Amino acid sequence: MSTPRHHWIVRVTHWVNAFALALMVASGLRIFNAYPAFARKGEAFCCYPFAGKAIPASLTLGGWLAGARHWHFAAMWLLVINGLIYLGFVHLHGEWRDLAPRRGQLRDAWEMAKFYAFVRRDHPRQGKHNALQRATYFALPVFGALAVISGIAIWKPVQLAPLTTLLGGYVWARYWHFLAMVALVALSFVHIFMVFAVDPYALRAMTTGGYNEARSPEARNARPFWWKRAAAAPAPRPASPSAPEAE
Amino acid sequence: MSIDRRRFLALTGASLTAAFFAGCDSQGPDRAAGLLAFAERKNEGVERFLFHHTSMDRVARGATAAGAAFPKYFISDTVPMWDAAARGPWSLAVTGLVDRPLTLSLDDLMRMPRTTQRVNHYCVEGWTAVAEWTGTRLSELAKAAGVRPEARYVDFASFDEDYHESWDLASAMHPQTLIAYGMDGHPLTPGHGAPARVHSPVKLGYKNTKYLVRVTFMADRNGGYWSDQGYEWYGGT
Repeated sequence: MSTPRHHWIVRVTHWVNAFALALMVASGLRIFNAYPAFARKGEAFCCYPFAGKAIPASLTLGGWLAGARHWHFAAMWLLVINGLIYLGFVHLHGEWRDLAPRRGQLRDAWEMAKFYAFVRRDHPRQGKHNALQRATYFALPVFGALAVISGIAIWKPVQLAPLTTLLGGYVWARYWHFLAMVALVALSFVHIFMVFAVDPYALRAMTTGGYNEARSPEARNARPFWWKRAAAAPAPRPASPSAPEAE
Repeated sequence: MSIDRRRFLALTGASLTAAFFAGCDSQGPDRAAGLLAFAERKNEGVERFLFHHTSMDRVARGATAAGAAFPKYFISDTVPMWDAAARGPWSLAVTGLVDRPLTLSLDDLMRMPRTTQRVNHYCVEGWTAVAEWTGTRLSELAKAAGVRPEARYVDFASFDEDYHESWDLASAMHPQTLIAYGMDGHPLTPGHGAPARVHSPVKLGYKNTKYLVRVTFMADRNGGYWSDQGYEWYGGT
């Protein structure tokens, strides 16, 4: 039985965001390659061990610095406007309740981690998302906001000098911008991996909106690549004395 | 869920990834060019809206001057040097939409009101460099030449090949926009644009013409060396 899971505004903004983020990261990496370091000239920078090493060109967009800048400064509007529509919608429509941190989230996240590490046998109870998902989907807009704010500080370091100063100056604003990108990319890859390895049904939920709760990861007791284990060991689980309520 | 659907998902993921990376390390599809040009025009509007004469660049406390690490860029194959034997003494022309066109020797320029400022240099590549610049505000030059009200742009031309860049008048009149002839307490060296150059933190490095010979006030913009090759014409910070 399929029930609607994501509002169409969430679905549309999700895919527009994926597209805009890909453009921003790829063009941003090409811009970064023009000076793949952070130090002010004549100084050293404490916190980047890969200074001078360029990002592989195949991961970049724009062809050259000027081309990449045009892509970056065009796609930024798509990213920001789309992001504001998403945040405005989840705020007004109440979806933020599924994402905002709540009491016991750390403990729930720890239980999820134990489950994925085979320390815990049964999937923790969850609502729409498990605790690790909630943390991820909450962190993504936070890092997104950091990327946008630090990006504005780099774009206009003189006209918006107070903002740049707030972030520790131009050099540090550039560094925060880079770290926010790294966090967004890392979380996105984990997200994509988990969709394919744990809950591919979520792909349908994010396109047409339908989702069958009977096939949720909780219902399937699904860890990454659950189907391989299901095929290798189809034997039913013995009831655990420590979890008498397990089905 | 059948095997076929799993394979479908895997193929979908693989082909989307391939399509994404196929577009990379390129300037992107040609059809996007119009859209990117549109975005640049709109961005210039936003940048002009954000521009204020009272917004000042300030160097962070404790920032070290770049000194010898300040990069030296020019277009010619060798460091451009004014050949006084062949071309006569260097002078700076202030022309175009002005009531009193000027031809200033370096001494004339140095007799004008002097400003010394320690500011950042913002390169389009992403690095910054701190230096102390000495020179005359362009607004002083404009006052001396009597700029006409129809002037809306300024072009800065050099003797480094055909290098020039044009600016909007507002950025040119910013109090931190200098015609600089000194750097870090010394006369400008050939590597940094001697005898005089434009220096301002309100524009990216490539807009700051070195080896300056002519300042032209204009009604229309006339592009620039890097702007014509594809860099943003506005290039503001």
